[in-house]
Amino acid sequence: MRAYLSAFVLQGRIGLRYRIAVAAGLVAQLWFGAITLMAYASVYHHAPDAHAPLTLRQAMTYTWLQQSLFRLLPIGCLPSVGDAARTGAIVYDLLRPVDMWAWWLSSSLAWLVGAAVPRAILLAAIAGPLAALLGLEAWSLAPPVSMTAAILALVSFGLGALISATIVMWWNVLTARTLSPLGANAIAVPLSVLLSGMLLPLPLYPPWAQTLLLLQPFAGITDIPIRLYLGVAIPGGAGTAIVIQIVWLAVLTLFGRAWMRRTVDRLEVQGA
Amino acid sequence: MTRRIGNGCALNVRGFEAHAAVFQKARDAAVRGSSGMIRGTVAIAVEDLRKVYHVREGGSWRGRTREITALDGISFSVAAGEIAGFIGPNGAGKSTAIKILSGILRPTSGIVRVGDLVPWQDRRAHVARIGVVFGQRTQLWWDLSVAEGLGLLRDIYGVDPERFARNRARLTEALDLGGIMDQSVRQLSLGQRMRAEIAAALLHDPEVLILDEPTIGLDAPSKLAVRAFVRDLRRERGTTVLLTTHDMHDIEALAERVIVIGHGRILTDSPFQDLRATTLSERILEADFVTEPPVLDLPHGATETMRDGRSVTITFDPRLVPAQVLVAQLSAVPGLDDLRIGRPAIEEIITRFYADHAT
Repeated sequence: MRAYLSAFVLQGRIGLRYRIAVAAGLVAQLWFGAITLMAYASVYHHAPDAHAPLTLRQAMTYTWLQQSLFRLLPIGCLPSVGDAARTGAIVYDLLRPVDMWAWWLSSSLAWLVGAAVPRAILLAAIAGPLAALLGLEAWSLAPPVSMTAAILALVSFGLGALISATIVMWWNVLTARTLSPLGANAIAVPLSVLLSGMLLPLPLYPPWAQTLLLLQPFAGITDIPIRLYLGVAIPGGAGTAIVIQIVWLAVLTLFGRAWMRRTVDRLEVQGA
Repeated sequence: MTRRIGNGCALNVRGFEAHAAVFQKARDAAVRGSSGMIRGTVAIAVEDLRKVYHVREGGSWRGRTREITALDGISFSVAAGEIAGFIGPNGAGKSTAIKILSGILRPTSGIVRVGDLVPWQDRRAHVARIGVVFGQRTQLWWDLSVAEGLGLLRDIYGVDPERFARNRARLTEALDLGGIMDQSVRQLSLGQRMRAEIAAALLHDPEVLILDEPTIGLDAPSKLAVRAFVRDLRRERGTTVLLTTHDMHDIEALAERVIVIGHGRILTDSPFQDLRATTLSERILEADFVTEPPVLDLPHGATETMRDGRSVTITFDPRLVPAQVLVAQLSAVPGLDDLRIGRPAIEEIITRFYADHAT
């Protein structure tokens, strides 16, 4: 247990070391957020709120939360796994008397959380209270609709982080299998950005796609928690939303572990 | 279950000899084997080990797969506390064997026991008892300092704090790590990194240490330091060491036993001195003259192999021409200034050995 905790702490600390990256990310996220907001404002100007699945204010808050949590998305394999696969140092991962899944998972989770949380706090502070203070309240990140919504969202964000780390594990296994991080990273970015609601909030897709979008694993990372935060109705209610997350976590873990076992069994690291 | 089965030498089952003997038979043979030597326990026992890779050719998914036999039935054993050198040209199968012994790779067939465990079946228990250094890879974490990396390894291997402090202090001193403990691994020189790698492999007191090219790329002082450390480790802690290298001086300095592997088979498994004696018994004589050397009339068994300015190099077989005969004859040549007799370099011995077995 201690090994997994150490891996988490050390990986998290590496994430915190890159302060310039945090600052650069913050600027980029603010920029993208502002542009997205302007686009919504012009679209909503022609289509009244009454018919939209999200009000303009909700769409703005949704956007700010997505931008804040951009780094929580599984946009690639764990960098150290990618490096290890390329250089062959991955043999050492097989040489540790630890449960390799739990070992990589704790690092992957720390990688996501360590990068996402500092950015999220800073960006939420700027897009929320600071924007309101500057008189930009109409464009700002709104607080959760209720205390219950806040608590549900927090639990759901926690599950979302775990789902994301588990999807990163799938990229890690794929990387170990192909001995290169390129393939995993190539599919990870578009899938994450599209299916998590980062590009366009999932509630804004056509009605016929709604059930499918809600039932795919990437919805559980940020979309479901944000819906709970906004108090947007979810078919089946908040309970169902959390159950969807837990089921995906279990399914991804179960099949991911089996896939990893098969991969480790046939892993042939070439060369000296 | 494989403990106490006679001494290592008796277990040197050669690869090209009968593999039919199953593990139990090898064990019986060992117990009956040569007397008068100390009975050790067997740390590593390998019996008729085969590994066939399936390599896809052509790149596209229509490419055919081709079978490559990396190990074609090798058998050997290493006694507890022994240092065995594993050598062979590139592509001979050394690394495959090392990976199977480490538990990383599953063989196609064959029996392997390290201690009483089958590496690839009892992976976690097995890897907890071995230490491995791959000279061309790093097991420390680039983004962490050496101290942080060692701390992480302590947690991975569950080394208790007291033992960790003791081992860390011992390794820091023996490998001279004091000055680099707080540096991040990416900042270390190759020599510093290799010393840290060796410390990382030994924190948990492994019973078996596997060194895969531990001195590759190191400068002379670093090589000497690594060799001295491994020798001390064996002497003080009785650690079994399996070593692969392309640096024959590593073998000469460390290994009592050399297992030469080629084309996936064991070519020879013998004490190093025997390999030297049977492969290349030639001696080399260098003679310097005060002036241009005269034409020499050499006896049968001696040939002039090089002439450079005022010195002449003569290669001779001491079984045909005893050294003293040759020396006496050359002493009579006018203008002789100096004489030196030496043995061929170990690289030459091995090159000759590979050439002899290149079929």
